[in-house]
Amino acid sequence: MKILLAEDDFASRKFMDKQLSRYGECDVMVDGEEAVDAFMMALEDGEPYDLACLDVMMPVMDGYQVLKAIRDIEAQKGIPKSKRVKVIMTTALNDERNVKMAFELGCEAYAGKPIDVEKFEKVLTKLGLI
Amino acid sequence: MAEEFNTESMLDMFLYESGQLLEKLEGIILEKQDADCFDDADINEIFRVMHTIKGSSGVLMYENITKVTHKLEDVFYYLRESHPDDVPHMELVEKVLAVSDFVTGELDKLKNGDTPDGDEKQLVEDLDEFLGRLKGEIKKQGIQMPQANKHVEPTQFYITPVAGDDSHFYRISIHYRSDTQMSNLRAYSATYALKEVAEDLLYTPDDILSNEASADVIVAEGFHMLLQTKSSKEEVIALIDSSEAEEINFDELSKEEYGRALSEFGREEAAPAAAAPASAKNDANKDAKKEGPKPGDYVVKTKEAGKGKTLAKNQPKQQSIISVNVEKMDALMDLIGELVIAEAVVLQNPDLKVPGLELSNFQKASGQLSKITTELQEVIMSMRMMPLTNTFQKMRRIVFDVSRKLGKDIELEVVGENTEVDKNIIEHITDPLMHLVRNSVDHGIEEDPADRTAVGKSTKGKITLEAKNEGGKVYISVKDDGKGLNKEKLYQKALEKGLIENKPINEFTDKEIFRFITLPGFSTKEEVTEYSGRGVGMDVVVKNIQSISGRLDISSVEFEGSEMTLVIPLTLAIINGIVVQVGNSPFVIETASIKEFVRVGEDSLISEPSGEEYIVLRGECYPFIRLNERYDLPDSNDKIEEGIIVVLEHEGSQVCVLIDKLLQEQEIVVKPIPPYVRKVKGLSGCTQLGDGSIALILDIAGLLMHDGERR
Repeated sequence: MKILLAEDDFASRKFMDKQLSRYGECDVMVDGEEAVDAFMMALEDGEPYDLACLDVMMPVMDGYQVLKAIRDIEAQKGIPKSKRVKVIMTTALNDERNVKMAFELGCEAYAGKPIDVEKFEKVLTKLGLI
Repeated sequence: MAEEFNTESMLDMFLYESGQLLEKLEGIILEKQDADCFDDADINEIFRVMHTIKGSSGVLMYENITKVTHKLEDVFYYLRESHPDDVPHMELVEKVLAVSDFVTGELDKLKNGDTPDGDEKQLVEDLDEFLGRLKGEIKKQGIQMPQANKHVEPTQFYITPVAGDDSHFYRISIHYRSDTQMSNLRAYSATYALKEVAEDLLYTPDDILSNEASADVIVAEGFHMLLQTKSSKEEVIALIDSSEAEEINFDELSKEEYGRALSEFGREEAAPAAAAPASAKNDANKDAKKEGPKPGDYVVKTKEAGKGKTLAKNQPKQQSIISVNVEKMDALMDLIGELVIAEAVVLQNPDLKVPGLELSNFQKASGQLSKITTELQEVIMSMRMMPLTNTFQKMRRIVFDVSRKLGKDIELEVVGENTEVDKNIIEHITDPLMHLVRNSVDHGIEEDPADRTAVGKSTKGKITLEAKNEGGKVYISVKDDGKGLNKEKLYQKALEKGLIENKPINEFTDKEIFRFITLPGFSTKEEVTEYSGRGVGMDVVVKNIQSISGRLDISSVEFEGSEMTLVIPLTLAIINGIVVQVGNSPFVIETASIKEFVRVGEDSLISEPSGEEYIVLRGECYPFIRLNERYDLPDSNDKIEEGIIVVLEHEGSQVCVLIDKLLQEQEIVVKPIPPYVRKVKGLSGCTQLGDGSIALILDIAGLLMHDGERR
């Protein structure tokens, strides 16, 4: 499985990288813009990502913008819903409005930090990724 | 409402919503428990409640809750679609309550920060089995089977963060010595060390690495950090390199303070450190003729999380109810009590008694003042008043649970649940009331329905819970139509246990006999059940009620039922009383307990050789107490013709006391007798009168008891 990880905080990035690498090849980005670029590139190469883990608070483009951009690009390219990349937001912003906002923008899961690894894995199973 | 809660985390939101839904659910169930079936509206409502909880617990991945609610939703789906007849209603009610209890239990675990790990298997199996039978029934009745309830698995999930409740919040300030070189690097190494343990770390100045000038700032103003971590203070201190540091300030903050500190730090929580690169980026975007949203545009601003709630309260239009600390209310209540006393001191000031004073303007003004203080009292009383609805709701559940367990068919009727009572009193009566209700279900209603039909009653037992407000008192009664109390049996039992004097039964009044059950150590039930105690209960009930100056009335007719009535003063602090004088001492008697004032002649007095005295009034004989003798008051009159006889009543017994004269009627603020004064029987408290003197408040129950003991 191909994974896109966007996270600006070094410690979190290292942690997530380690966790995610168990499931597949993990590309690590440090800001939102890079993440969108990487996503585009992978799409054009015909090897799209299966999973994107996006931090919300990132420089240049925040996680929500990235999420929206990704969904917009997918819509534009006419990618069917089932083939869309699964997006998990990872953030410490746990209040209800932020979560709802993320769901509205079309993410599959919203993981509050610090991340509960066990549940995270369960979600990956439910999403049919592992 | 939603506005107020929007800064809560997802989990809080889930707990709050589900709690509300379950409460509503329980309300519906208990209301309809005695009906033959749920009506369409109820079925829809229960279905909706289950659906909602299922959905949100699914998103949050509490699988046991999801499974259970899912099953119950299925059951109600079939009920809703097929309207089958002959649904075993009682069983259904039980199932719903079981599910509600299960979910409530799991929610409680979550509230305490535990994992909801309750085992749902048994419950799901039970529901499956029930559903199976239900489907069978639907087929048998030839109703077309609805399509299976389609369940949409949630496609979006929320992963709750690892419980952050044990996180500590610290504010750390480091001041380096003024000659410290490269303080920015030292500061960086401190942040670096802390990142190991930090859940969240914020520092200022924040450009310590890229901006060399920050070194000067750090030396001048110190380096400040906000840290959220699971580590203890000691562990964190150990991580910070303290060489070259002149002073390290270390404060632990609460979560709220931390939120506030965050905004003080001026953190754009929504878009941290994005300001500079973002503006550069924006220029680039302009070239592309596409002004993209800036970082943080989508992020719902939580910068004001700490302030959110207070802000809402500053807007009276949105917020019409505020919650106030009860202590503040109590303090206000006390102050108003003092005010009433102070008012009396002014209005009845001895200085005003100088003859020939022109007081008409003063009287007018004082009338106005009295009116306002009375209103003030009423307002504070009404602020403390709460309806009994919640208390009665609990009783419904008790009747339901206990009657099911004991296999009795009982219906509960509730009358006057909107009656309002002082909050203090509600707290005191809940337990006693619970006990009375349990007693009625357990001991009151006959075990065998045949016993009921034999005396011409319907097989279904009935318990009536009634509350009413009358003359400054609240009456709460628990009435059952069960077997009633057997006087003979009570008498025998009390005699056996040596709780009463050895007197023939006909020397006791009915009320006295019924009151045996409140004696410590009395229990007529041979077998002690799970629900009703060993006879320690009733005397505890009575004690609790007496502690709030209330009483318990018992009346009963054998084979027809019993009624236990709690009579409680509406409020505890201020009573309406009559001030009387004996010798030089003023006494206060609560107006409600005075039956009459009479003057009688010497010929009405009967003196027994033992020293007891009685007064005969209109052919009735009352015990007579001379207050001056009892409390050794000098300078009082001994002659009955010259004094006034006051007839007092308490719980149906009367007593007469002799006083010298009546002074006035007024609102009395009851103060307890200070503990350094030995407890005197017959006195329940004291108060300050207008002239500053202290008056003692007569306790009628105490007088009667004392009188009884003397005999």
